[in-house]
Amino acid sequence: MSAGATSAEFRANSRAALADANLQAALRGSRGGFVQKRAKARAALPEFDALRDEATALKNHTLAHLDHYLEAFEAQVVASGGQVHWAETAADARAAVLEICDRVGARTVTKGKSMISEECGINEALTAANITPVETDLGEYIIQLRGETPSHIIAPAVHVTVPEIETAFRAAHAGLDPARDLSRPEAMLKEARAVLREAYFAADVGITGANMLVAETGQTVIVTNEGNGDLTQSLPRVHIVIASIEKVVPTLEDAATLLRVLARSATGQEMSVYTTFSRGPRRAEDLDGPDEFHVILLDNGRSALLGTEFEDMLRCIRCGACMNHCPVYQAVGGHAYGWVYPGPIGAVLTPALTGVEQGGALANASTFCGRCEAVCPVRIPLPRMMRSWREKEFEKRLTPRGMRRGLGLWLWLSRRPKAWRFATRTAARVLHRMGRGSGALKRLPFGADWTATRDFPAPEGRTFMEQWKAMKR
Amino acid sequence: MAGPRVALFVTCLVDLLRPSVGFASVKLLAEAGCDVDVPEAQTCCGQPNWNAGDRAGAAEMARRVIETFEPYDHVVLPSGSCAATIVKDYPAMFAPEDPWRARAEALAERTHEITSFLADVMGVAPARRALRASVTYHDSCSGLRSLGIAEQPRRLLAAIGGLELREMQDADVCCGFGGTFCVKYPEVSGAMAADKTECIAATGADLVLAGDLGCLMNMAGKARREGRAFKARHVVEVLAGTTHVPPIGDSK
Amino acid sequence: MSGRETILARVRAAARQRTEDDAEREDRVAGRIIRHEPGLVPRQGASSGHGRLTQFLNKLDQASASVGRISSLAELPRVIARELRKRGLPAEVRMGAEPMFRSLDWSVLKASIGPGRPVEPVTLSRAEFGMAETGTLVLCSGLDNPVTLTFLGETHFVVLRRSDIMAGFEDMWAAFRARGLDPRTVNMVTGPSRSADIGQQLQLGAHGPMALHVFLID
Repeated sequence: MSAGATSAEFRANSRAALADANLQAALRGSRGGFVQKRAKARAALPEFDALRDEATALKNHTLAHLDHYLEAFEAQVVASGGQVHWAETAADARAAVLEICDRVGARTVTKGKSMISEECGINEALTAANITPVETDLGEYIIQLRGETPSHIIAPAVHVTVPEIETAFRAAHAGLDPARDLSRPEAMLKEARAVLREAYFAADVGITGANMLVAETGQTVIVTNEGNGDLTQSLPRVHIVIASIEKVVPTLEDAATLLRVLARSATGQEMSVYTTFSRGPRRAEDLDGPDEFHVILLDNGRSALLGTEFEDMLRCIRCGACMNHCPVYQAVGGHAYGWVYPGPIGAVLTPALTGVEQGGALANASTFCGRCEAVCPVRIPLPRMMRSWREKEFEKRLTPRGMRRGLGLWLWLSRRPKAWRFATRTAARVLHRMGRGSGALKRLPFGADWTATRDFPAPEGRTFMEQWKAMKR
Repeated sequence: MAGPRVALFVTCLVDLLRPSVGFASVKLLAEAGCDVDVPEAQTCCGQPNWNAGDRAGAAEMARRVIETFEPYDHVVLPSGSCAATIVKDYPAMFAPEDPWRARAEALAERTHEITSFLADVMGVAPARRALRASVTYHDSCSGLRSLGIAEQPRRLLAAIGGLELREMQDADVCCGFGGTFCVKYPEVSGAMAADKTECIAATGADLVLAGDLGCLMNMAGKARREGRAFKARHVVEVLAGTTHVPPIGDSK
Repeated sequence: MSGRETILARVRAAARQRTEDDAEREDRVAGRIIRHEPGLVPRQGASSGHGRLTQFLNKLDQASASVGRISSLAELPRVIARELRKRGLPAEVRMGAEPMFRSLDWSVLKASIGPGRPVEPVTLSRAEFGMAETGTLVLCSGLDNPVTLTFLGETHFVVLRRSDIMAGFEDMWAAFRARGLDPRTVNMVTGPSRSADIGQQLQLGAHGPMALHVFLID
């Protein structure tokens, strides 16, 4: 669902983000934390990089055999008493969720954290059908109260400051004593815990995502630190898992390989607190657990990436390491990316899932510094794929005209060394003179975008090639 | 015995903006025993076109560069980013069956960024020089992550008498230059540059050094706008002892 | 065509581009699932002997879980009562219909059996396995071990036999299969619940337990 996406306006979004003092304070507060924790976790496991290679090979193998693994997974879910729904598009996924909710007369739905749910616009669809969705991940709950979308795939409220959370809680929990002390994070956590506990017991349906789907057993796997995903799936009558097709892994041993790199890459933990494998509905003798178990398998453009230069993107295990290490993301936060997935994965996925016309701006929002690829647990060549999107833009003539002309002129000159020398000689002299002996220019003709935030060091005056030639003579 | 025939690819930024980096490079290569030549037909490596998605244009520029430089034993550039274009990107520009692919790969094997060439390929002890200054070194992204250049410039700098290296925090984080990125998203680029100058200033070093003129122009320009005390130089200027030239973006 | 057929057809078309034989691919998938071979096992996941126990205890500590060791199961009710007094908690515990617990003398505290309720000060579960690799407890849901007890207790007590401490994932899954287990949920638990969503400050007890205490039966 790309309605409402503002990815094409990345420049305006990023300007607003840089001018937002609260956001900048939140980003500065979190910066570096994830980076140090991952580095420490990597240092503590000598086999970490070898495990990244294993994880990469495992995902490549699974993608090359995806049809058979999906069928195997489906057969196991059915054998365990669950149901599988195949959703070609986000609209199909929404319809599947609504149909189940409608059939069981659901009025409240609790939700574990799921980016696929965001991608499909499940909350909006539930609300429109008069069903109340309650996000239960603490970060998701905070942004739901604020009417926002996640700005990070594993820390959805990383852009919100503590005082802003207090304001949101006071507004939403109007029934509580207005004089209560909420100044400390502990008090806020306790309050959210109590409010959400009521929601878990009141809910008719619980929706979670899945970090993995195990073909061998038909299990869906979620990885959390709070335990909200488990209460979401254990207390309501119905558990719906919504997962994209590339989440399938062959066996429990393969799941272990991914678990070994997932939490370390994400938060620097060796293991997240809760890793839960769910298979089918509750057993006859069980005292708790859902009566119904549904898995919605979402495609939404993913199968179209198989066999293309973007296939590697389907290895992604959504750890968030790329955005934690991305200096562009760290400068502007996730909302500037304008759609569900921020940071480097957003810069590749957004054009893939919403079209290059909408998402192309994100593929350009990178210096190609390569830090994302360097930390990716499944070694996704993110810069290479961003560059591929720029190629698609260039082919479709979506690259801004000024840039196209500039590149054309550059190419033309590069083939004509004499003209090139003349142009560089002239530019070196003119710019040198404009520096008026100060060594730099405060304003650059045709380069206001450079000099808006920095000076332009002036050329020394004569080009290297002309001096070299003179010396050699 | 004559030394290897080395072609200096001076790069467009150095040619236009800071020829002294080119001369420092020639000096270092000659001291290392290389027979240095500067092919006259050289222009641009094609990186701007490649990174902007102009595959055909970039490939055309690559073919010119290959033709110009393939007669030499080595191609050396005072830039990790332009070197990475030749080493990593040129082979990717041509289909496996295209005869240019093999030529691109052959050139890639013989192409080096200057500090790694001096430290790893020539393996010579640098000439004894001294500079009484404290410096900090910024790891330019392409050199660091595409070519693995981090330890080589530091090793060469360690041989400079009187020089104190003070590592900055986040030395390996991008300065915000990123080629055309700096004018496509100038506000973000400016914010990244400001973070970088803050890290540099926090070391109290007199000089920031790096191996790529693009990053140096960005850091020096930002520092100057902010009125920072530190100056910026290409690492080869210090290695070659050509620091009589004013620092980047400065007049004295 | 249904969504299912459309999606699978697209995946197959992409696979055919690789000019691979489809039957061969299917065999490969079946083989991999049947063999479920371990991948690279880090040294951390291959401990043995006394080193395994030491590592398990260290990892539990790193995960902010505490441990009490008891020599026999019969001691459990009294040890729990003592632990509750130490923590200033009422002498009450909620548990499942675990056969291992049923035979014990629970007269020293108020023990009730059933799934979790909205307010549960203390819950008791049994872990099927421990994993020394990461200090993880592996719990299987069932009549004897309601899954909600793992998440609704403010303080969660977990009983684990020392002989059920495995080195890591691989030997744990092998033992899991060997025991013929097929629970609705397998819960891997590594420390008490936590969240850093408020101001990036780590706090324990987000939705699940604020404290996790393991009774290790030697």
